[in-house]
Amino acid sequence: MANHLSKNAQKGLGRLGDLILPASGEFPKYSDVAGFQYLDEMVENAPEDDISSLSLVLSILAFMPGFILQWIVSKMEKSQYDPSNGILAVTFRQLNVGIRGLLYSTYYSEKINPNYKGKTPEQLIDFEVKRVAD
Amino acid sequence: MYDFIVIGSGAGGGSLSYYLTKGGAKVLLLEAGKFYRKDTFPRTEAEGSAQLYWGGGIEFDKDARMGFLRTKLVGGSSIVYQCLMDRFDDIALHDWKAESGVNWFTQEDMAPHYEQVESDMALHTFKEDERTRNGQLFANACDKLGYKWSYLRRGQSDCAPEKGNDCTTCLAGCHRDSKQSALVAFVQKAEKLGLEIQTEIEIDRVESHANGVKIFGKKHKNAVTFEGKKVILCGGAFGSTKMMLQSGFKSKLPALGKHFSSHPQFMWFGFQKEIVDAHKGMFQSVASKDPNFRKEGFKLENVFSLPISIAMLFTAYGAQHQQYMKKYRHMQCIEVAVRDENTGTIQVDNKGKLVVTKRLTDQDNARKERGLDAIKKILVASGAEEVYESQMYFGLHLMGGCVMGVDGGKSVVDPEFRVHGEKNLYIVDSSIYPNAPGINPGLTIKSLGNRLANQLLK
Repeated sequence: MANHLSKNAQKGLGRLGDLILPASGEFPKYSDVAGFQYLDEMVENAPEDDISSLSLVLSILAFMPGFILQWIVSKMEKSQYDPSNGILAVTFRQLNVGIRGLLYSTYYSEKINPNYKGKTPEQLIDFEVKRVAD
Repeated sequence: MYDFIVIGSGAGGGSLSYYLTKGGAKVLLLEAGKFYRKDTFPRTEAEGSAQLYWGGGIEFDKDARMGFLRTKLVGGSSIVYQCLMDRFDDIALHDWKAESGVNWFTQEDMAPHYEQVESDMALHTFKEDERTRNGQLFANACDKLGYKWSYLRRGQSDCAPEKGNDCTTCLAGCHRDSKQSALVAFVQKAEKLGLEIQTEIEIDRVESHANGVKIFGKKHKNAVTFEGKKVILCGGAFGSTKMMLQSGFKSKLPALGKHFSSHPQFMWFGFQKEIVDAHKGMFQSVASKDPNFRKEGFKLENVFSLPISIAMLFTAYGAQHQQYMKKYRHMQCIEVAVRDENTGTIQVDNKGKLVVTKRLTDQDNARKERGLDAIKKILVASGAEEVYESQMYFGLHLMGGCVMGVDGGKSVVDPEFRVHGEKNLYIVDSSIYPNAPGINPGLTIKSLGNRLANQLLK
C-alpha cells in the first residue's frame, strides 16, 4: 500500500483530532486511540490530487501555532451554517467532512491503535452488531 | 464483436445484462469497480466507506453542502442501499410524461416490466413483529398525530432475524445474499447463463461508426478498447453523463448534463430515555404513506446507520459530540427525502473531474421545512427528551443528466432509450429520469432495463 499521508500529515491530523475529539469524561483524546497505521487504507481509493492536497494541508497544520489551529477548527465546525459559497467557506466545509471522516473512521471503529489499553470509543458507546452468515 | 456491451452493473446495467443474456445475446458487462461477493464484501463500516465508493467515501456538490454517495463495484448502489422496492405511482408517471412527452410512462405500460422484475426477485413486506423499536416509535407517533404510514417492501430472501442478524452490517454489502441487489437478483444469475464480465475498467468515451460503437477506457491506467454492435451506458447520473460529455455530445445535445435531481435527505434524531437500539435487527421497516406528504413533496422513513456515519451527522465538535455519541443506543432517527426540482447540472472540468451544481430551490427548501416540521412533531410525540437537528444532508438517489424525452433539444435519449441521432448507442439508468419521482428509484430502473432488453431482443 502506498504512503498517502506523510508522518507530518498524520501529526497534523492528530493535533486537529485532539481538538475535535478531546479527552472528555470517559472518552480518550483522539491521538491516544487513533489507528494512524490505518489512515492510508482509509484514503486508498480517494482521488490522488485530493489526497496530495489534504496531505499538504495537514503537514502544514502539524507546525501551526495552537491558536491558528483553534481558529481553523472553529471555522470547520461552523461551516455547515455559513451561507457563503465563497472559496474559503467551501474549503472549510470540505475539510469538515473530509477530516471528520478520517478521524471518526479511526476512532469510532476497530481501526484503532492496537496498543491502546483503555475502553475504546466503540465500547464506550456500547456498540455491537451481529453478523450471521448463511 | 459482442452483440451488446453494457457499461455499468448497477440496477439498470445488471437487469439489462440479465434479460439480454437470458434472451440468448452475446453480452459483455463492463464495470469500473471491483467484483465483491457475499464472502468478500468489507466486514466493517470503515472499510466499506473507504473501498466501495467513488471519491473514496463521499463526493460533494460545487458548494460542498450536499454530499453524494456513489458506489463503485459490481452491483452498484444496490449493494449498499436498502433495496426498497416501490412502484411509481400515478403522480410520478404523470409528471414524467408531462415533462418528457413520452407516452408510455403510464401504469398500464410499466406494469409488465414491474411484474417481470418483481417475479425475478425475492420480495418481503415487513410485518408488525418485525418492527424495531425505532420503527415502533415512528409508527406510534404517526398514529397519534394522524399521519398515515405503511410497512416497507424490500428485496430480501432470508435476513435471519431469528438468529439475531443485524441488517446494518449489509450497508457494506449483504454477506448472506439475502438483499436482492443487482448482483444477487441479476448479475450472478446472468453469469451462470454466460454473461461475460470485466471489472476495474473505467470508460472515458464512446465513438459511433456505421456498424457499431467503439469504447475507449483504461484498466489500471492502461488504455483498453472494446467494440460492440450496440452499446448501452448504465453508469448512473454521474457516470453516464460524464461518459457522454467526454464523448463530445454536448454540442449536439444541449440538455446533456442538465435536469439533475437527488432526493436530498435530512436525518434528525430524538434521544429517548429508553434504549432504542436502532442499529439492530431489520432496522428499516416503516415509512410515511401520507397523501398530504406526497402532495407536499416529501416522504419520511425511519432510518439509522453505523457509528461513523451517525457521528458525521452530529456537527458539534468536542465533548458535546462525544456526549451525543454516548447516547448512540438511545437514538431514534427519522429521515425526510425531498422530491426536489431537477435544476442541478453535471459538468466535467478540464482535468476530467465532475463538477456538480445542486442548490436547493425555494420550493425544495419549503418542502424540506415541511418535512422537518413533521419529523420534529413525531420525535416530540414519541417522547424524545431532546431533538438534534442535523445540518448535514445527502443526495443518495442521483437522477438526470441524460434525461429521456421526445424532443432532442430538451432531452438526451429518445423514448426507445436511444441517444438522439445515434443508431447504436443507448442509455438505461437513473440518468434518463426526466425529473425526481419522490419514490425510491431502484425498482423502476430495473424495470426500465427489462423494457429495453425486450426491445433490443426483438
